[in-house]
Amino acid sequence: MPDTTAKTTIELRILRYCPSTDTEPAFGSFQVPYSDDMSVLQALQEIKATLDGSLAFRWSCRMAVCGSCGMMINGEPKLACNTFLRDLAPGPVTVEPLQNFPIERDLVVTVGDFVKKIESIYPYVMPKVPKTVEEGTYLQTPSQMEAYASFADCINCMLCYAACPQYGANPDFIGPGAMALLQRYSSDSRDGGQQARLDQIRGEDGVWSCTAVGICSEVCPKQVDPANAVNQNKSNSALDFFLSGLRKESVT
Amino acid sequence: MSERRPYLRPQPRTWWAHPPYRAYTIRELCGVALAVYGAILLAGLVCLARGPAAFESYRAFLASPLSLALHLLLLAAALWHMVTWFRILPKTMPKLVWHGKLVPQALMTQAATLLAVGCSVALLALVVVVGAWS
Ligand code: SF4
Ligand code: FES
Repeated sequence: MPDTTAKTTIELRILRYCPSTDTEPAFGSFQVPYSDDMSVLQALQEIKATLDGSLAFRWSCRMAVCGSCGMMINGEPKLACNTFLRDLAPGPVTVEPLQNFPIERDLVVTVGDFVKKIESIYPYVMPKVPKTVEEGTYLQTPSQMEAYASFADCINCMLCYAACPQYGANPDFIGPGAMALLQRYSSDSRDGGQQARLDQIRGEDGVWSCTAVGICSEVCPKQVDPANAVNQNKSNSALDFFLSGLRKESVT
Repeated sequence: MSERRPYLRPQPRTWWAHPPYRAYTIRELCGVALAVYGAILLAGLVCLARGPAAFESYRAFLASPLSLALHLLLLAAALWHMVTWFRILPKTMPKLVWHGKLVPQALMTQAATLLAVGCSVALLALVVVVGAWS
């Protein structure tokens, strides 16, 4: 049996940035004692507790559920709580804030833009015909649920955005995560909001910035397959374009 | 007091040349090879329209070692384009639910690849039969 309590140290090279004193980010190095069962998040907590209390990073659940601890670990977008030092030994391990996002401080990035995108695609079921309480609940078969279930697993961690070169080139691109959420609702048999959502994703800043690179699906820690969501909606968006001439637009 | 001064690191200009994006770049470049092959076929049509002498020189070009090497290269690129595109084909398709279960993406890729191989073999057989017959 390997001894999982044995302590040894590993070097973490962390990109630091303090907006009030630094003109640009620079790496700082830390030697951290670690054991086999320690995650990168725990290493960061150890540094904050014992070596440098000013280190800034986000986390909450420490179990790959909340999506707060996304960062670049050895150049790849990862959840820090779900990435173990034993897989990165002997190091050094580089830790940087998520690529493609503005850095607020150290490993903390700006998320406001992403939240706006999520809000823009109506992230809730919009029933075709609203039911009263007396009329009962909306029913769905297991097959109908399968059609969107994987998209409902998204934890908004933004790893897919950090992996997407097209989002890097065009920050207005709606991006993979928001499209996964869009598809979660638009392919729900109880939903009637498909048209309203399609209206939000036309053009270059909608689905059409995507060139099917596909790395978003590879880095997703929840196997959501956001690339599938984006590309299904290219077909939907194209069809919508051709059908829009036939549709009677309601002018208000 | 807090001070906000978000710092955006620029995207590396050569992102497309490095892993994990390199495979994507190669897949897309293979599409250019397909266009080149299309242009070669088109040149044949143009030569045909220009008369027997032009078409003869086109055929001579096709038989040259340079053209053979080029065609081998283009074939390899076309095959790679096919393999890699069928790999991402399931990403472009709606989810298929069969008897309440999702159809695995690998199965879609295999089915599409088999279909393409089947069509290619049938086309090749047709060419051989027609060639022997005429
Ligand atoms: S699709 Fe995956 S990688 Fe993207 S935000 Fe959702 S969980 Fe994270
Ligand atoms: S801390 Fe919640 S996902 Fe890592």
